[in-house]
Amino acid sequence: MVPGMTTHGGLEPVFCTVVPPHVLDRVARSDDPALSGPARRTLVRDSELRSRRRVTSEFRLAAAPAAKAPSDQPLRTVFDAGHGTVLPGTKVRGEGEDAGQDATVNRAYAGLGATFEHFLKVYGRHSIDGDGLPLDATVHYDEDYNNAFWNGEQMVFGDGDGEIFVDFTSSIDVIGHELTHGVTQYTANLTYYGQPGALNESMSDVFGALIKQYTLSQTAAEADWLIGAELLAPNVTGRALRSMKAPSTAYDDDVLGKDPQPATMDDYVRTGRDNGGVHINSGIPNHAFYLAATALGGFAWEKAGQIWYDVLTGGELTERAFFTDFAKLTVKAARERFGDGGEEFQAVEKAWERVGVRIL
Amino acid sequence: MRIHVRRTGGFAGIERGAEVDTSGRPDARAWEALAEQAVADGHRSRPAGVPDGFSYEITVGGRTVYAADPRLTPEQRELISRVLKEGA
Repeated sequence: MVPGMTTHGGLEPVFCTVVPPHVLDRVARSDDPALSGPARRTLVRDSELRSRRRVTSEFRLAAAPAAKAPSDQPLRTVFDAGHGTVLPGTKVRGEGEDAGQDATVNRAYAGLGATFEHFLKVYGRHSIDGDGLPLDATVHYDEDYNNAFWNGEQMVFGDGDGEIFVDFTSSIDVIGHELTHGVTQYTANLTYYGQPGALNESMSDVFGALIKQYTLSQTAAEADWLIGAELLAPNVTGRALRSMKAPSTAYDDDVLGKDPQPATMDDYVRTGRDNGGVHINSGIPNHAFYLAATALGGFAWEKAGQIWYDVLTGGELTERAFFTDFAKLTVKAARERFGDGGEEFQAVEKAWERVGVRIL
Repeated sequence: MRIHVRRTGGFAGIERGAEVDTSGRPDARAWEALAEQAVADGHRSRPAGVPDGFSYEITVGGRTVYAADPRLTPEQRELISRVLKEGA
């Protein structure tokens, strides 16, 4: 790990609240309702503010040394919304508790664990905030709900309608994707609109895919580079929701339509929908990551993943970064971590060139 | 009265839209009451959503408002769900 790249005990983004979110979070879990109630409301308000991206006056300061090092064990809680929309719902499995009968709960629990392990073992990161933040997930949200999202403080998974999508906990890369939105929120905090929004989405796809590959011990050459391969219902014509290897080829279906993702800047889609096409144009940085990772070979998290992580958490990536800003930082990070004469920065440079992102 | 709902975004980034025309329907008044309340609570411009959350455009009688998951009113949630399920 490069000095200065760690997020705990070093430079850490702090939002303009008096109490840092991770401290509030601990207070919010206090047994004393007089303490936990206000802290919880503050957290909710803060997370709403963050999700609305109205907080632009983020500043950075050196965090006080942690009183206690964060644990190497996750602190997971899975809740059941019972097909309603009230969050977080009823607690159904806490950390260390045995698996129950509900496969969805068990998949969510295992997925949270796999994600925690990947970030810790590969990048030395303790949970999504780098400081042991508890990981909460709600399953069985709403009825026939064809989605999963990160609400600023927890993951939420729908069951799918069974016609287009099945249970959103079915793909481990989807669980990793949602948690990575949390990592992004606590680090670069990329604005969820337009190009920074597409970068935010791409971070989640990149680390979601890496978590799956890490779990399966797959090399870059062995991996399928698909996002949500287990998510499509049997009758849908397609392989997954997105393909990092070949954006635009994941599905072509009567009901779903055709995968709209571009692989290069020539096909960049300008739209106001989908927060300015965040799930569409993420195909471009996704493909750049795939090209860099496969050119370098071996386990993708060891080189390409490390470079991307260094940029996401390094403090130089701004909230409103464009593809070109991100690309430039990846080349810089590749040089810093792997050396000036190495194949790494050349592979990264070439990947961006091939997707048409110019590094100025 | 025409009630149109368009849903964009979401993890899949797949767009869906549907419309219900209440004219001639026996339950027209109930639809209209629901739609009017949903529109009254809507945003005039697109609210920034949460990562992977759905965004919605609700158009009732030519007027369009916006909403985003998970902060929907119960009326908005019911209207969106019913139009996407029952509409064409």
